[in-house]
This record gives sequence, structure tokens and C-alpha cells, in this order.
Amino acid sequence: MLRRSATKLLVTCGISPWSTFVAGQVQPAVTVDNLPNLEGELTLYLGRGEGGLYENVLKAIGDRNPDFKLNIRRGPTAALANAIVAESRAGIYQADLFWAVDTGAIGLVAGQGLAHSLPADLVSQVRPEFQYKNWLPVTGRVRTIPFNNQNVTIDQITSDIMSLPETSLRIGWAPEYASFQSFITAMRILEGERATKDWLEKINRKAKKYAGELGVVMGVERGEVDIGFANHYYTLRLKSGKPDAQVDLAFTQGDAGCLVNASGILAINENETTVNFIRYLFTKEVQTYLSEEAFEIPLAYGVAAPPGLPSLEDLSPPELDLTKLADLRPTLDLMREIRVL
Amino acid sequence: MLNISVRNLALNFILAFSFGLITNAAIADGEVGDHVNDLQRHLSIYEEEVNWLIDRVNEMVNTYDTQGSEAAGTEALIEYWETVDFHAAIELNYIQIYASIWQGLYGVKSAIDSQATITNVTEEKGNLEKALWQALGAVKLAARYQQEGLIESELITESNILSPTETVDEIKASLDRSAAKFAERLPDEAVDIVLNAYLELFEGLEGDLIAQNADLVEDLEKDFNVNLPQALQSNSSLEQVRSVVDLMKGKLDQSRSILEIIESNRRDVF
Repeated sequence: MLRRSATKLLVTCGISPWSTFVAGQVQPAVTVDNLPNLEGELTLYLGRGEGGLYENVLKAIGDRNPDFKLNIRRGPTAALANAIVAESRAGIYQADLFWAVDTGAIGLVAGQGLAHSLPADLVSQVRPEFQYKNWLPVTGRVRTIPFNNQNVTIDQITSDIMSLPETSLRIGWAPEYASFQSFITAMRILEGERATKDWLEKINRKAKKYAGELGVVMGVERGEVDIGFANHYYTLRLKSGKPDAQVDLAFTQGDAGCLVNASGILAINENETTVNFIRYLFTKEVQTYLSEEAFEIPLAYGVAAPPGLPSLEDLSPPELDLTKLADLRPTLDLMREIRVL
Repeated sequence: MLNISVRNLALNFILAFSFGLITNAAIADGEVGDHVNDLQRHLSIYEEEVNWLIDRVNEMVNTYDTQGSEAAGTEALIEYWETVDFHAAIELNYIQIYASIWQGLYGVKSAIDSQATITNVTEEKGNLEKALWQALGAVKLAARYQQEGLIESELITESNILSPTETVDEIKASLDRSAAKFAERLPDEAVDIVLNAYLELFEGLEGDLIAQNADLVEDLEKDFNVNLPQALQSNSSLEQVRSVVDLMKGKLDQSRSILEIIESNRRDVF
């Protein structure tokens, strides 16, 4: 927690946004008018998963830069990561950029030494607790505990994820869901195998299983269960269409229960256009667009969280290198061992 | 069983090609070959191959009738199918009929292997022939559209950006590919296609949909993760799998209508 606390302190102490950048400092996100025009051609490997909104962002960048051509190769995130590694081993560099919805895939590519360091002034535009030297998280999603606000008060929900199995509340979960498995991976890294196994066994004995995390949130809203485990956006999206939905969000503190995971981008080819392209993703406009339209958590410094979600300053996500979430296999082995999967 | 009109076929071709559904990734049975980029020039070859396949099946059925199941050697049936160029031409161009061919092949094979009556075997042979001729008709139509420039001869369309409604079409095509892999007796591959369509395509759309019709999204979430995988991994018939797929397609069409309205009201990024 030390690094996060220290960087939070820097931010709250009001480091001058335009001061000379050193590692850990921050500058507020810039507007698109401050960016240079893009010229030339780039190839982006885009892990599918966020549908039309990422595409809208890419189209808008293209429309704004008529002398720039973006080639996109789409595919499953993990497959693209493997392709980048395989291509580099064959001495072929087809991708200039890799935008992945899963930090594990980012970790795979960066771990092979294929990601170039990004300029300090660009890194400084990202919230300090999410600054990495050779890749950047673009937007985030936080693990939450949706609860039925007619059956349960927030005071009844523990802020410690590890003590949740002891509750008498009815729980819903979707253990086959990828985000849930990342959450368990984080728990395994933070709390250890033994504690995670105990937690899973206890939850498994009492929880109602759903096909996906929207199902969990809907089950909570209908009162089939009192609480559940789900990414934040399901509840926010549901409430945006149905403001009187009987579900609210609770957050644990400093543990895997409030993990903030992210989509991420890295540069495989080091050139000015590649870096400038990444700058567009951290503009106020793009970050606000993804926040307002997709309820994603903006990670550019100074851009507000989506409506209905506490700001990151008020959340206490655990200190965890997100690329470590790539270590999924032991999690799946554990879940299979106790027949959760 | 399949009653696909020429008009529907034409619409499907245009949709499939316009939305870049035709990718090399769709092919699971070896090299595609350049012939698929010039269908018109290869139509006579495809027709010869269909006739050759039907002759082989006729011989096999006759052998079964006179010498029995073992002498018929049904294992050769799949090998015949996998050696012809026509295989790739139909798999790329109309995956639903492609599935029916596999269903026909296994229908003949299973009937002979289980020593069914010659009447039953002949009936299965008839289904296979019907699917093969329908497939040839589909490829001829695709050749015409290819010549008229309505479809690309280049098979990789990676640079096209998919809109949400186009993504719905790609999901529907994935469901058809999944049914085709089920018909090929590749259930694990079929399930992978469904789960990838969910994770890589549908999840990107569901955010907008939840706010408008959360029940519809919850239904589809269950279809993707439970109902269709269960059908693909059970002893369902192709018709049963197709009925699950068709139900999902109806829900996806409903989703498309919602997404069209959302997109028309979407604000600009910059």
C-alpha cells in the first residue's frame, strides 16, 4: 500500500500540473486541440471486447487526421498477444500498437521485452497509481458488491472481502466469468493459495450461481440474493435505464474485492506517430467519452469518474501489478480442484 | 428441411461479405486455396466435384446394399469431402448449407454403420445430394456477386471498423459457424466459437443494451453461456442446435433495433 499512499499524497498535495515531469508526478489530461496531427500509417492490434465504443474512438481519431491511416487487426486478446510474440520471434513486426482489454495479455507482450518505454510527459497524464513505464492502462473497471437496497443496508456488508463467507446474507456469483477469475487471481496473489481456497469453498457452499455478472446484478435487483460479485458497470448501466432499480454498490477496502482492472495499450514500434496516437486515448475528450458512454473509469489524471461511482480517491484498491493477473492457470486449477468450475 | 430461397441467399451473401465475415480464420479444414478469390472460373470444377462426390456415395450405397456395412467403407466418405476444393468454397460462402452437408455425410455414414435398411440409407443419401446441389447453387450465386463487385475477392477485411449493428451480424455468423462445427462433429470447437463470440463481440455491445432492456441481455447471456453450449455438448440433433441458434438470432435482431436507435443518438467523441 505504500506506493499507492505516497502517490495519492502527491496528488492531494497539489503538485503543479505543469511542473517539469519526474516519475510519479502528474499532469492533467490535455484536450485534443493540444495534440499534433497524426501523419503516416500505423497498424493496431485490437483485442475485441468493448464493441462499438472503442471503434467510435478510433473512427473519430481517423476523421480528425485525414493524412493518417490506421490498419486494425482484430481478434481475441490472448490470440493477438501470442501473434505479436510469434511475429517478433520470426523477425516480423507487423503491429505498431497493441490495445488489449485484458492486462494479462499486456503482461505477456511486455514480459517478452516487446513494449517500448513511453515518454514521461505522456505517462504523467495517467493517474499516478496506474503509471507503468512501458504500457498504460486506458480505462478501468472496479470489482464491487452489488446489494439489494430493500433487503440489506450498506452497514451489513463487510469491508473485508475475506470475511464475507461468514455473512448470513444470500450471495450470487458467476465463477465462470473471466472478470471473476481475475478477481480470484488477485486474491490468490494477495492472500495466498490456502486462504483463497478456503474462501472459494465457503462461498461455493452457499452462493447461487448465475451465467454471467449481469445475471448476478439482476438476481440481486430481483431479491433472489442479497448481494453479489460483479464489475461496477453492470449496476451503473442498469440504473441508468432503470433509476429505481433496487440495487446499489458496496466496496471492500484494500483487497481483491475492490480490484481495479484495466484495458491497456503499449507501443511495439517506437516512433513519434505511435506515441502521438496513444496521446489521443488519454485526452479529456476520449476519457470522458468512454466514461460517460461506457461507464468505464477514466484513468487520465483529472477526468471525473462516471456518475454513480465514487472517485478513485474514495476507493481503496489493492496494491497490485496488474500484469500479474496473467497468471490465471493456478486460479483455474484451484477452482476446478474444488469443483467451482 | 432447408428451404432457402434464392432471394434469401442473395441477401445473406451481401450481408456476409459486406460485413467482412469471410475471413481465413473461419476455415478449419486446411488450406483455402486461391480458387475462392475467382469463384466464376472454378464453377465447372466445383460442379465436377459435386458429381464426383455423389458418384462415390452412390457406389458406397450400392456396395452396402450388395455386400454389407463393412465392405462399404464409410470412413472414406469424410476423406472424399475434405479433398475437394468445393469444400472451402461453400464453407466460406454459406455456412448454413455447409452444416447441412456435414449433417448429410454423417447421416449416410451413421445409417450404413448402424446397418439401417436400404430405404433409410437411400433417404439419407437423398438429403446429402440435396444439400450438395443447394450448396453448388449458393456458390454460383456468390460467383455472380463476386463478378459484379458486390463482394470482395480479398478475403481479409481486417481494416474495416465494425459498427455495433455490424457486430450483431458478425455474432450471428459466428453462431452459424458454431452450428456448422457441431455438424462436423467438433463440439469443443463449436463451443469455443460461441464463447468467443460472447467474450469478444457481445460483451462489447451489452453495455448499451442493459440500460434499454436488461432482461433481453440477461436472456442472451444465459443463451451464450449455458443454453447453446449445453446443446452443442449434448446428443442434440443439428435441428435442435439450430433452433437454439434461431432463438438467439431473434433476440440479436431485437438487440440490433435497440442499437440502431442508440447509435443514431450517440454523441461525437471530439
